[in-house]
Amino acid sequence: MAVPRKILCTVDRIVDHGAHVYTLELSSLSALTAFKPGQFLHLALDPYEPGSFWPESRVFSIASCPAQRDHLSITYSVVGSFTKKMEQKLKTGSKVWVKYPYGDFFIQNESDVVLIAGGTGITAFTAYIDGLTPDHQHSVSLFYGARSWDLLIFKPLVEQKIKEVPALTAWYFIEEGEPNEIEYVFSGRISVQTIIPKIVHPQETDFYISGPPAMIKNLSLDLKLHDINPEHIRTDAWE
Amino acid sequence: MTETREEILSAVTAYYQEKFGKKPDFRPGVDVVHYAGRVFDAEEMLLLVDSSLDFFLTANRFSEQFEAEFADFLGVNNAFIVNSGSSANLIAVSTLTSPSLRDRQLKPGDEVITVAAGFPTTVAPIVQNQLVPVFVDVNLGDYTAKPEMLESAISSKTKAIMMAHTLGVPFDLQTVMYLAKKYNLWVIEDNCDALGSEYESKLTGSFGDLASHSFYPAHHITMGEGGCVVAKDDQLARIARSFRDWGRDCYCAGGENNTCGKRFSQQFGSLPFGYDHKYVYSHIGYNLKATDMQAAVGVAQLKKLPSFIEARKNNFNDIFHGLEKYSDRLILPVATTNSNPSWFAFVITVRENAGFTRNQLTSFLESKKIETRNVFSGNLLRHPAFMNIDHRIVGDLNNSDIVTQQSFFVGVYPGLSKAQMDWMIQCFDEFMEVN
Repeated sequence: MAVPRKILCTVDRIVDHGAHVYTLELSSLSALTAFKPGQFLHLALDPYEPGSFWPESRVFSIASCPAQRDHLSITYSVVGSFTKKMEQKLKTGSKVWVKYPYGDFFIQNESDVVLIAGGTGITAFTAYIDGLTPDHQHSVSLFYGARSWDLLIFKPLVEQKIKEVPALTAWYFIEEGEPNEIEYVFSGRISVQTIIPKIVHPQETDFYISGPPAMIKNLSLDLKLHDINPEHIRTDAWE
Repeated sequence: MTETREEILSAVTAYYQEKFGKKPDFRPGVDVVHYAGRVFDAEEMLLLVDSSLDFFLTANRFSEQFEAEFADFLGVNNAFIVNSGSSANLIAVSTLTSPSLRDRQLKPGDEVITVAAGFPTTVAPIVQNQLVPVFVDVNLGDYTAKPEMLESAISSKTKAIMMAHTLGVPFDLQTVMYLAKKYNLWVIEDNCDALGSEYESKLTGSFGDLASHSFYPAHHITMGEGGCVVAKDDQLARIARSFRDWGRDCYCAGGENNTCGKRFSQQFGSLPFGYDHKYVYSHIGYNLKATDMQAAVGVAQLKKLPSFIEARKNNFNDIFHGLEKYSDRLILPVATTNSNPSWFAFVITVRENAGFTRNQLTSFLESKKIETRNVFSGNLLRHPAFMNIDHRIVGDLNNSDIVTQQSFFVGVYPGLSKAQMDWMIQCFDEFMEVN
């Protein structure tokens, strides 16, 4: 990965998606370091003095596209004490330190791919999806689930890209409430039983899973039970 | 910054002026004309002291800054500091032995094409990793591998090419990269002597899968002791970092935790699930890290690199013009085709019919306080350490032996003044008149 840098950022915008899910847009006076789709950053709330120890931080996928060099964005849901502190402390204009880029959760472009995203796990894929071009050769099948319709926060991006990129298709899963559209939307959680029939050559497809640890564990197991080679399953699991 | 810190740094600048600010006039025949040396101003001392006042000691803000700026300079993605160019070479070769490279992994008995006339620690890592060096001879004049010998050096066991851009002259990268692609070979550039050299208008160190750099004081920039590995590919960079950092799988910077976000939630080898990732070892590695203080000096030096490169080229041209009238007796250095060297030194080979030996000339120059150096090891295979290594030679090493017997270099480093350069040429003139 490119040399990680520590950068002081300003919170330019906070989007409240409801249900304690937020998107932060960050900018900096220093040049933002380049990164690759699928990489992540560390975000620290406490002050950091270069030359001293890095403060407590958490990892977040970089949701914005690498081509956007003037800001970074992350999407997070409040699940623990750190993200709770983020919810309480961060306001427009707040200063945070980030260090990035890290990670090797890169989607290879040499075969058909299935992207399975649960909740804010979609942010591991958004930069990749945003970067897809109309001439993309292999199929990209996205299975994107969230608690509710409103929490499919990147559905507008996905739908826009579907119009531009013939190789991209998407199915949505919502756990609560009725779907607003019928086609391509399922009630309940993402399941391998729903995914596999939609894939032309599942044994030759690479599967990428990003989301809550329990979802990753269960889906990985299920894929293996459906004879998917473990070497074709990559996960983006954090503590 | 505290007031005390500011006072300290201000005192450093004043000290620099006192101790190093005034350079005495050069006294020909009295003052040594060094072949190389550190060239610095107050900035290096300031940043070194600034880093020491952090007292973080291990890699921190200056390492991060240097690595990012060095990567930008070369136009590569991955760069990380090590404690020497030799360590950088060791890491580069060791990286290719990682099992995670699967069928491209270098295994004991695999061959690596290299040259015998060079620096020992370009070849030593090949031997240390139980690989077999395959030696090709060099050209006289540019001292790089004979490109016409390279393809014939390749066998079914050949897996990599590792060579240095000796003394700043790029080897034939067009041929090397072509062969690497054709035969699926790894390429390691030992760029220790050649920071700033270009081949087809692209910087050396940015072509191969991996490249090494040295920041020993004789080199283009210095950290005192220091080096850098650059890697094209993220996977290679991760492996190389592992070899640098005790062989561990973790890639946290010093003093940091859980960079991967999965510190206690992975399973490796037959370790219990969740074994602390900071102490999982995926390679049999080393500790070859450098301190932040070394990096601080490097940050200051990197800013001066463009002017250093230009000065080296200018000094080279001055010596060349001064000595070209002796080209019937001295083989003067030349650049390889399509290259623009950032010269490490001015290499001379005394011709067979010169009427004098290399040692006679160098003894004379040394008596005039002009430092000279042999071209490092000359033919490595003649050294006690390398005489009995497992190896293969393609063709002969006649030129490598000539380099051993008849070649030497003088300096072109940026610290040389016009007066020193003029004295150097004057001494050559004096020698040639009577020999």
